Amino acid sequence: MSECNNQEIDFNKRQLKRIFYRRLAVVIWVSFFVAGLETMAFFVMFDPELLGQLSIWSVMLGATEGYTFGFLFFWVFNLTTAVMVGLVMVLPRTKLAKRTGPKPE
Amino acid sequence: MSQDDKQPLEIQLYESRKKIHPRETSGFFQRLRKLSLFALLGGFYLMPWINYAGRQALLFDLPARKFYIFGITFWPQDFIFLSWAMIIAAFTLFFVTALAGRVWCGFACPQTVWTELFVQIEQWVEGNRNKRIKLDKSPWNFNKIRRRGLKIVIWLILALWTGFTFVGFFTPIRELADLVMTWTLGPWETFWIFFYGLATYGNAGFLREQVCLHMCPYARFQSAMFDRDTLIVSYDPVRGEPRAAGKKRREEIDNVGDCIECQACVQVCPTGIDIRDGLQYECIACAACIDACDEVMIKVGKEPGLIKYTTENEMEGKKTHIMRPRIMLYIVALSIMIGLFGYTLLSRKSIAVDVLRDRNSFFRMVDAKTIENVYKIKIMNKGKSAQTYEISATGFGGDSNVELRVVVDDKFKNRELAAGELLNLPIKIRANRSDVKRRIQNIELQIKVVSQEGSPNGEMVTEESKYFGPKK
Repeated sequence: MSECNNQEIDFNKRQLKRIFYRRLAVVIWVSFFVAGLETMAFFVMFDPELLGQLSIWSVMLGATEGYTFGFLFFWVFNLTTAVMVGLVMVLPRTKLAKRTGPKPE
Repeated sequence: MSQDDKQPLEIQLYESRKKIHPRETSGFFQRLRKLSLFALLGGFYLMPWINYAGRQALLFDLPARKFYIFGITFWPQDFIFLSWAMIIAAFTLFFVTALAGRVWCGFACPQTVWTELFVQIEQWVEGNRNKRIKLDKSPWNFNKIRRRGLKIVIWLILALWTGFTFVGFFTPIRELADLVMTWTLGPWETFWIFFYGLATYGNAGFLREQVCLHMCPYARFQSAMFDRDTLIVSYDPVRGEPRAAGKKRREEIDNVGDCIECQACVQVCPTGIDIRDGLQYECIACAACIDACDEVMIKVGKEPGLIKYTTENEMEGKKTHIMRPRIMLYIVALSIMIGLFGYTLLSRKSIAVDVLRDRNSFFRMVDAKTIENVYKIKIMNKGKSAQTYEISATGFGGDSNVELRVVVDDKFKNRELAAGELLNLPIKIRANRSDVKRRIQNIELQIKVVSQEGSPNGEMVTEESKYFGPKK
């Protein structure tokens, strides 16, 4: 009996790991994809070279750096949103998460 | 309850991936796929090297914020064209999907095309499916290191070449090639070449069908475009079942179906599914199983077409309707969109104008008889050569007796705008006090191109604005 329990725990651990990695991959991929769209829509309206001059650091930003930074900026923030959504979506292991279905025999 | 029943079941979705070694196959659809591969990849790798009118024919010059597509130059102000082109492309995709299923996935999607290319190289270096599986299982010996190493080197070269070509669409590729040759690439070009190269390597060499299964949003909603008349790759269970092989087949020869269970369709599948289980979202409609099955069927002396391109209606012995409301709706919508797109593209003006009212004051009295309003006009020369402009104004309900005088500062008089230049032009519009009968009235500003080399003059843009006067 105890052997079976151990197996079950091992299995659950493996499963949780897979779920975690899958979630992580989805979060990274979706935020990357949307960052691409955002970069396009944003830089159509704003010239990165002018934006560099307007920022509080008054850096001279070339166009290519501007686009690259913009893309990474969008990606990082999308990633933050997605990670937080993923984190909050998952119910913590409290009463909330207890299953109330029929008990196994 | 036995011990076995208590064994937890592994959830398939989170199963760790087993590498798929698609078996090579040949036939009509595979020739079509090779053709499409050559056309699309050839187009991709050669396109940036083609010049048109002294310039790279297709160049999305991001640093200069200009898109050159053959003879046409697009400015950021023309973004509407790009978004329309994308909407039209998406609609075309939906239309094709409704008509012929996932042909995009099987034949034209960059993911499939590059994966196909990488698989071809793998096959060339490591041998056929059996050899690849054997190599996969064998311990690391000299042969494995040699073959794997050679494959990785070829893949890497190809991936970097792809990254280089990709960046070549955004910065002139000949200059880029010079930079690469002299080893003087800037940090950001290097970053993007490697980034895109790595993405190619990862997607086509490593991830492959996982992109279609886990990452592609289109795969998830393409079934919404399907109906009973859509072309799908399908196995004919009526003819094929019950499937049997070997001894069983020989014993019950009268009761078995045409499927000899040779597993050819499963072995050739790049996404690792069994098409005999019915239509699945994993199926990218590459039709490799059709070719493989036909080959086997001909070998065993049966009619080909046990697996074929067909529709649900045809499978049930009904008629397939090609012209159906859904298709006609798509055709109408697409023709309207393409027509409007073409019309607006052809009637595109070579100037872009924006008129802003000066926010500091409503109006000013120049003298007892004259009122003045101040505007800021943003003019952009979207043409290919320098332009000068003439600005006039009409308004006040079209009263022809009203005279509106446009006053431009001396330093802006006859100012010539170079191609692509943006000018903020402050102007004043004066009117006789007796004509200004209301507090706010509409006026129209006409901005006319008066001199432009090499193209007809007289192009004109009309912008509306407001004219403020004193309270009566």
